[in-house]
Amino acid sequence: MNNKIPNFVKTNQFGLLILVIVFICIFSFSTDGFTSRFNIYALSRVVALDIMIGLAMMVVILTGGLNLSLGALGVSAAMFGGWCMESMGIPISLTIILVLAFGSFLGWINGFVTVRTGVHSFIVTLATMSIYFGFMTLLTEAEAFRKLPEAFTDFGSLKLFNKYISPLLIISVLTCFVLYYIFKYTDIGRKLIAAGANPDAAELSGISVDRMFIYCHMLSGFLAALAGIMLTARIGAAIPSMAGHLGFDWLLPAFLAPVLGGTLLSGGKVTVFGTMLGAILVTLINNGLYLIDVGEFWVRFFLGIILLGAVLLDRAREYFTVKNSIVS
Amino acid sequence: MSALLKKDWFGLGLVLIFGSILISLFKPAFISPFNLYVLMLSVSLMLVVAMSQMIIIAIGQMNLSVGAIGGLVAISFTGLMEVYSMSILPAVLIGLLIGLACGFINGYITVKTGISAFIITLATLYIFKGMNLGITEAQPFYEIPEAVKFFGNAKIFGPIPYLVIIPIIITVLMWILMNRTSLGRYMLAYGNNVQSSELIGISSTKIVIYAHVVSGLLAAIGGMLVVCRLQLGTPNIGDSWLLPSFAAPVIGGAILAGGKVDVIATAFGVILVSIISQALVIFKIDPFFVQIFLGFMILLAVFINRYREYREERRTKVFSDE
Repeated sequence: MNNKIPNFVKTNQFGLLILVIVFICIFSFSTDGFTSRFNIYALSRVVALDIMIGLAMMVVILTGGLNLSLGALGVSAAMFGGWCMESMGIPISLTIILVLAFGSFLGWINGFVTVRTGVHSFIVTLATMSIYFGFMTLLTEAEAFRKLPEAFTDFGSLKLFNKYISPLLIISVLTCFVLYYIFKYTDIGRKLIAAGANPDAAELSGISVDRMFIYCHMLSGFLAALAGIMLTARIGAAIPSMAGHLGFDWLLPAFLAPVLGGTLLSGGKVTVFGTMLGAILVTLINNGLYLIDVGEFWVRFFLGIILLGAVLLDRAREYFTVKNSIVS
Repeated sequence: MSALLKKDWFGLGLVLIFGSILISLFKPAFISPFNLYVLMLSVSLMLVVAMSQMIIIAIGQMNLSVGAIGGLVAISFTGLMEVYSMSILPAVLIGLLIGLACGFINGYITVKTGISAFIITLATLYIFKGMNLGITEAQPFYEIPEAVKFFGNAKIFGPIPYLVIIPIIITVLMWILMNRTSLGRYMLAYGNNVQSSELIGISSTKIVIYAHVVSGLLAAIGGMLVVCRLQLGTPNIGDSWLLPSFAAPVIGGAILAGGKVDVIATAFGVILVSIISQALVIFKIDPFFVQIFLGFMILLAVFINRYREYREERRTKVFSDE
């Protein structure tokens, strides 16, 4: 058991990596255009957003909770950004700071109410989802902001590395590294994980669990707002319906990525790069399903099957790992 | 009297009565026959949906796929009648069977894998909704038999629609199930504490599967009732059920951790949500406010429940000191 290689092989990430490679092989052989420059660029833009959304959900799952308001929060923040830039003429850099602060504030509300009432965050964020989205539609009158500064929208359609990769993906990957660093090497990151893993033990060792949980929700709001800005840059406009009704379109990728990546729903375990791989896998499959031409209406069906298959596989892997370790 | 005060539904009932009187004093249109008719229709439909979620909350889980099951059954029901020109009764039976099967799948996978019902029903949500879209290609079915249309729109007498019959029967049955049968009590015991319920010999497998099957059946009935009401089967039936399905039981004092639900209070929760939505429309308030309001209602209910729990805890503490 001291051997390092088998340990890595047993991890969830390794399985995911294999799956990603397998799917890339399948799709590049079975479809035309999967490896085309256009498709890879399109993939990179989508994957960037899915990673960010997945991370935003991951940091709340860390507490053993959920954030259903993710999509509503992200869109609200993005609309706030659109308003700042278009109606108020605030410069881009300041707008981004304001939007991130706004997202963190909305996340703080989620965290504060959850901690103070002791109610599961599912029900709290179910309520705030409706509240955020309602206020956003009311204030914007469901109108989009389409006259954003060119420098901002140009960034969203920029193509890097021989026109293969969108800069949005670089932001997401950088965020992954930052989060990894925070959770692995900083005091606050370790405290967050400790609070999620065993609140009672953390409380006894002098960590303010309530505060840690609020931080997690704020971080989630921050990342969701960042995802909102990225989506705005990608589309070139801030549209109230860009994440679907109540922001529901974000929920499936938000749960798929961390769950596939091996984040425990009971809290206390995060896998930043697992989430990244999970998001990549989901985007790949989604894209591949369209290219294979299963019909756009069946894509959702297959995504559901894949989520189900993934959690079942993970359960089986866990089961065998436990059995093997008992035997040896 | 003090025993009454402790009931979940008592406070809600008072709020309902005084609220309705207050609203009708300001706007007499609120108690016009037409308005009452519309109110009863919306209450009937949401009642079934709320019960479908409530039984899963009772065992301490959640069912995100309630709306997806309702939608799938709705389009199957209308599709069977339109495309295969089936008569109503077998179409209803097949609809119920689909609901039962969907619920069974949810329950079976949840209990056999031990994975959180949240994730399982999120996956099945997409599967059921995907099947719905795959079959219909997002096109509604319009050809509904006259009898179904009649059932959805006719009135028994005064403003009372035929549509309320089934939801009332369901509510009564659910009350009997949760309060007077061992199965219902076992479900609450399971929701309260899985380990101890297993120790006293309750089969987890049975309880979880039964709860999900009932939930699936109720979602199926909800879907078919919406078809009667709308007089067509659109693929987006059920899309907006998630929030109200949780709102009513939670307003009715249900604890999401499981083990405590109240059928009457849940029914009152449904009525309260419907009255408020209706009142906001009558007072010509922006429809988007209704959504915000619903959100605040849930938060308020959660705060009140928390406060009551806190008082309860303090009281029991005093007693144990004596």
